Amino acid sequence: MEVVLVVLIALLLVVFALVLRSRRSGDAVADFRRQIDALSPEARRGVTDRVRRLRPDEVPEGGDDHGS
Amino acid sequence: MARDLAIDLGTANTLVYMKGRGIVLNEPSVIALNRQTGEVLATGSEAYQMIGRTPGYIVAVRPLRGGAITDFEITERMIRLLLQRVGVSRFTRPKVVICVPSAITEVERRAVTDAARRAGAADANLIEQPMAAAIGADLPIDEPVGNMVIDIGGGTSETAVISLGGVVALEAVRVGSFDIDAAIQNHIRREHGIAVGERTAEDIKLAVGSAAPTGEDVTAEVRGRDLMSGLPKTVLLTAEEIREAIEDPVSAIIASVIRCLAKAPPELSQDFLARGMYLVGGGGLLRGLAQRIQSETDVPVKMSNVPLEAVVLGAGHVIEHYDALKGMFMGVRR
Repeated sequence: MEVVLVVLIALLLVVFALVLRSRRSGDAVADFRRQIDALSPEARRGVTDRVRRLRPDEVPEGGDDHGS
Repeated sequence: MARDLAIDLGTANTLVYMKGRGIVLNEPSVIALNRQTGEVLATGSEAYQMIGRTPGYIVAVRPLRGGAITDFEITERMIRLLLQRVGVSRFTRPKVVICVPSAITEVERRAVTDAARRAGAADANLIEQPMAAAIGADLPIDEPVGNMVIDIGGGTSETAVISLGGVVALEAVRVGSFDIDAAIQNHIRREHGIAVGERTAEDIKLAVGSAAPTGEDVTAEVRGRDLMSGLPKTVLLTAEEIREAIEDPVSAIIASVIRCLAKAPPELSQDFLARGMYLVGGGGLLRGLAQRIQSETDVPVKMSNVPLEAVVLGAGHVIEHYDALKGMFMGVRR
């Protein structure tokens, strides 16, 4: 009886680990997709709009213009 | 509730981007201190005006050199004061993304994040400057194509090949526009026997400095202190002699670009010929530098629309999409 219980627990642990692993790899795919989407031209429109607004007059004043 | 911030902590300038608002601060990375009491007297533009012109008890310093923190305590105080100026207090603790040179050591990384946290940030993460520059320069880094960006700052020059949101090849040297200024200072001291300050050297670079012949026969009149007599003296400098004087740092920067090209996978190399390389950073504004890189590499070189702000705008994009892009932080690569 005890042996069966141990085997059952071991089996459950293996199944749990497999589920966790597949979910993690699914997460990695989703995370990568989200990252690429966040770098797409549509997502970057906010930055490009700000670039347009920066030029020509909105650059804040700095003392040293050579080197960043 | 504090608005999250992106900071381009440059050797020459510090720029701060506030989430939802854009660039809210652009100041020289300079701090002026009372040497006796240690009190901060000025930061940013005000402190920059003091460089080389202070009485004995005041010291105006740049706490970063070569993209690295040379004085941790002073850097922390400078960051704290700059953050205070954009509204950060002990009650409003924002998340902060800081752009740093990709070649910084683990110790330097920790120094930067610790300085930001002590200065009031709830959480501080780092992003590589070339990656931020590529986003800010609006390169299509989400596509599987070779995007090449050359970021020439005050203390470092970095060239990176970026594809699919990640760095494929990278080359960095701790040579930047301050080294060009130093080469000018040394040349004038050696050849003309006069001493000039760092700001005068920078003015000379802006007036007659070039990396390649520009076809203009320009000269600059420079006033300094005669090293023999100690009296004020004026000399006339030609563009050609300044070009020769800065050849070493310019060559070092171009050599690092060539090394990065050599590291790029062949599939991406062919993209550069069609798409070109993008130049960002204040050092990239040196006359003739883009043409010189282009002639030595046979790859077209294009100047970014926003060379001075590209890095902070890229980091600003990351702070706007913090959750989606947090995998790009240094040390969090998946």
